[in-house]
Amino acid sequence: MFRPFAISCLILATALSAAARTRPHYGGTLRVEIAGDPWERPAGVARRLVYDGLTQLDANGALRPALALTWEQDNNFHRWQFRLRPGVRFQDGSSLTSAAVVASLTASCNANCPWDAVKAVGPLVVFTNDSAMPNLPSLLASDEFLIALTAAADGKSAAGAIGTGPFQVTGFNNGVLTLAANENCWTGRPFADVVEIRVHRAVRDQWLDLSLGRTDVVEVPPEQFRQAQQQRFAVLTSAPVALLALQVSDAGVLANVKLRGAIAAAVDRSALYNVIFQKQGEVTASLLPQKMSGYSFLFPTDRDLNKAHELRGGLATGAITLSAVGDGTMQLAAQRIALNLREAGFNVQMAGAGTQHADIVLRKLSVAGADPSAALERILWDAGEIAPVTEQTPAALYKREQSILESGRIVPILDLPLAYASGAKVRDLHLRDDGTPDLANASLEDAR
Amino acid sequence: MSLRQKLLLLFSLTVAAAVAAVAWTVLVRIRQVFEHRDQDETALFVSQFQREFQHRSADVAGAVDRVAGQERVRSMAFEMVQSNDAAPFLNEAQTLAQDARLDFLEIVGPDGTIVSSAQWPARFGYPEPAANELTQTPFLKREELPDGTTVLGLFALRAIRGAEPAVKLVGGVRMDQSFLADLPVAPGMQIGLYSDATSQSNAGASGGVNSPAGFDAQRLVGSDGAVPGAAKYGGLIEKSRSSGQEASGILYLTPRREDSVAVTAIPLKNSAGTVLAVLTVAISRSGLVGEQQQIRAIAYGVAAGGILLAIVFSLWIAARVSRPVEELARAAEEVASGRWDARVQVRGKDEVSVLARSFNHMTEQLENQREMLVQSERVAAWRELARRLAHELKNPLFPLQLTVENLSRARQLPAAEFDEVFNESTQTLSMEIGNLKKIIGRFSDFSKMPKPELERIAAKELITRVRTLYAAASEDGPKIEIVTQLPDEPMPLMVDPELLHRALSNLVLNAKDAMPEGGTVTLSACKRESKVEIRVSDTGEGMTPEECERLFTPYYTTKQHGTGLGLAIVQSIVADHAGTIAVESSEGHGATFVITLPRADA
Repeated sequence: MFRPFAISCLILATALSAAARTRPHYGGTLRVEIAGDPWERPAGVARRLVYDGLTQLDANGALRPALALTWEQDNNFHRWQFRLRPGVRFQDGSSLTSAAVVASLTASCNANCPWDAVKAVGPLVVFTNDSAMPNLPSLLASDEFLIALTAAADGKSAAGAIGTGPFQVTGFNNGVLTLAANENCWTGRPFADVVEIRVHRAVRDQWLDLSLGRTDVVEVPPEQFRQAQQQRFAVLTSAPVALLALQVSDAGVLANVKLRGAIAAAVDRSALYNVIFQKQGEVTASLLPQKMSGYSFLFPTDRDLNKAHELRGGLATGAITLSAVGDGTMQLAAQRIALNLREAGFNVQMAGAGTQHADIVLRKLSVAGADPSAALERILWDAGEIAPVTEQTPAALYKREQSILESGRIVPILDLPLAYASGAKVRDLHLRDDGTPDLANASLEDAR
Repeated sequence: MSLRQKLLLLFSLTVAAAVAAVAWTVLVRIRQVFEHRDQDETALFVSQFQREFQHRSADVAGAVDRVAGQERVRSMAFEMVQSNDAAPFLNEAQTLAQDARLDFLEIVGPDGTIVSSAQWPARFGYPEPAANELTQTPFLKREELPDGTTVLGLFALRAIRGAEPAVKLVGGVRMDQSFLADLPVAPGMQIGLYSDATSQSNAGASGGVNSPAGFDAQRLVGSDGAVPGAAKYGGLIEKSRSSGQEASGILYLTPRREDSVAVTAIPLKNSAGTVLAVLTVAISRSGLVGEQQQIRAIAYGVAAGGILLAIVFSLWIAARVSRPVEELARAAEEVASGRWDARVQVRGKDEVSVLARSFNHMTEQLENQREMLVQSERVAAWRELARRLAHELKNPLFPLQLTVENLSRARQLPAAEFDEVFNESTQTLSMEIGNLKKIIGRFSDFSKMPKPELERIAAKELITRVRTLYAAASEDGPKIEIVTQLPDEPMPLMVDPELLHRALSNLVLNAKDAMPEGGTVTLSACKRESKVEIRVSDTGEGMTPEECERLFTPYYTTKQHGTGLGLAIVQSIVADHAGTIAVESSEGHGATFVITLPRADA
């Protein structure tokens, strides 16, 4: 009698112990190191920790309510109204109001907005536009439209970055941004008490710190996946969330569409994919990823130098400036593209990093969500073009995309993922749909 | 110019020329010695620099060699060959180059294409021609950079051991300002590098080579940036580039000689022998020029001192040599002026003293002879005077004697006849006595010539007065025309008008006497520089040269009843007015007396 009881107790204890190990623990400091700025757009690590949007995309890219509980369109997508989630408070204790939302949106998007006007109508936030805004809820899930407190309750400007997210800013010292858990977050308290984000840390140093246990989460650039794996890091990789593309000016020396077509034909995507980005991501000649659109393969990705020469037709274009937005890998990719273009007969000169007025700019455009139409509009908006995408069927989208690509203003090159590596004591770390780590739901194993 | 001055000039010029010749020779020799030394030093510096350059080349080769020998690199090459995948090693070259302190490093795969490039990471996959070099020694190469420029580099090629087929490394250092700054240079030496490789290149990824263009001074860089006076290097650099050989020369960077440099242009070639750049080794000549200038200043100082001393010495020598001669000349002048007792001091026994002694002897002789001559002339004059007196007096004495004898004989005659004879005799006696008085008066006049009382008169006026006087007088006797030829210009004279009138009158009377058959007397005057020339011409028979010579001798006359004192008086008057008188005559063509007198100030 005793033996079966004892065995049962032992099995129960073992089961409880196992359950206790898998259950996340509250507390502890989650240390993150990044090479860039935590507030940069898009995909700044701190932005999603401090702020929330009216809508959000879940891990599968599906649109979900966030600060807005419901939304509905009117007047054939020319007007949208979003009803705010009740009871939500900013980290300073002030209530989330429609006026605060409007102020935040107005501050974050004072030009090139996808809407003409945004107003607070009672608990509603109302957007209106002369043209249809079929994908506005998806756009509002973007990093650019996160809601921040712009004015305190007393009417004065808000001190610091204050949002409704799971963490609130407590300090920035010696290159370390410190975030404390927001106990009153509408999504619930995060597991970690504190998140420390060390900024502007070289990837090599991040990895060294991770190896030595001095940090918990580090970045893994696509081109260094292989090294990260060789070092046996736990690497989390997102789906393609960024479209590496050339933005080509349609004015000045490149006003001729054939020249832009020659540029598109001259780019050697395979060299960029195989060598610079170390076979990470996907080679693409379309704006939407193959997985999202299903027709990407129809756009040829191979380099066609003869076609480039043919399109250029011996035209002397004068000096063309090329710049890249981003880190050293982006600069390297831009240099490679410059080489490609020189081979096609273009006189390309590299402009300094971050030059905004170059004839050709290599940059990453955000690819988010599961809705191809919304994703395409988001890509175009990211590229500076406000063009509502109403097409819903793959065929219509294909035609739309084909017409966009034929203009030569955007030359897709690669779909790239984001990746992070975490230390052994980090549990339940996942990447969001935009590729950023969801630190609010991650916990530390030895927090207690 | 006096003898002393001539001697001084001669001595000074001789000594100065000698000093200058010596100084010039010394300076030329010194310059040659310095230039030779300069060339030797430059050659030494250039040689040292070339050795250092070779050391740097060896350093580069060693650095690439060490990289190729690293275990990590060998593993990479092995893995690359085994996996046939070069992509994972894209960034290897940058890390390796940084560790090895190389500016350039490319990993070249077995297929000859770039696997990884430190200097241009995006160039992976492109062929690297330098990987086909067969040499193990460092070489020069132009390297294109992502910004479109090309730079010159010193490269070495090494194969990574253990990988088959071979994976190679092409590494090097940039030959630029910092490369030059790292090279040890001697004080005063400046290194410059001229390369075409800094220009913008659009040659594409395959590695275009810039064709040599004209000299561009901005492409010449030194260890401190721009090379001073870079434009001056053009000739040497172009010479070196075109010939492929070293070229040397001296460049004057500014008009100041101290700013000159001795430059050697060394062509830097690639393995194919093409000149890619020119290294200039410039050694300042400021020290050398300073020394030369110091020596030159000393030489000039010594020369100037020597010349000064020579002048002083020449002064002394010239004075010593010329003093006896000057004394001789002075004594000769004194003798010439009539002081026959002038003597010079006789010093030493040289030629000049012999000359002085002879001069003294000669003046002594001359004085003695003059005394004798004076005495002779005095005797002769007395004789002549006696003869003349006798002659002059004899003529009236003879009638006097006859008259007295007649008178004495007339005492025998009756009273009436006696009275008649007596009256005639007394009349004759009175007349002859009057002649005697007249003769005595003339002699008296000659001996009592008055001192001229000068006043300013016009020659024209004086001559006109004489012509007027004698034109009227000539109406009696033979027909004699008196004409004047006088210019309008003023001819003032400071003379005694009465004396000069008398002199001209004598000449006119002589002229009339010379023309018993009649003729023309011409009175003319003209200016001759600072003098006035008065001419009295006749158209008579003229005179022989012998007569002309003796014409002004007192008591000499060609006339039957002349005293021979007329022309002597004329000569005396002219001489008293500091003038001269001459006669121009030839037999049968008349005679012209020319009086030259000083012209009075206007």
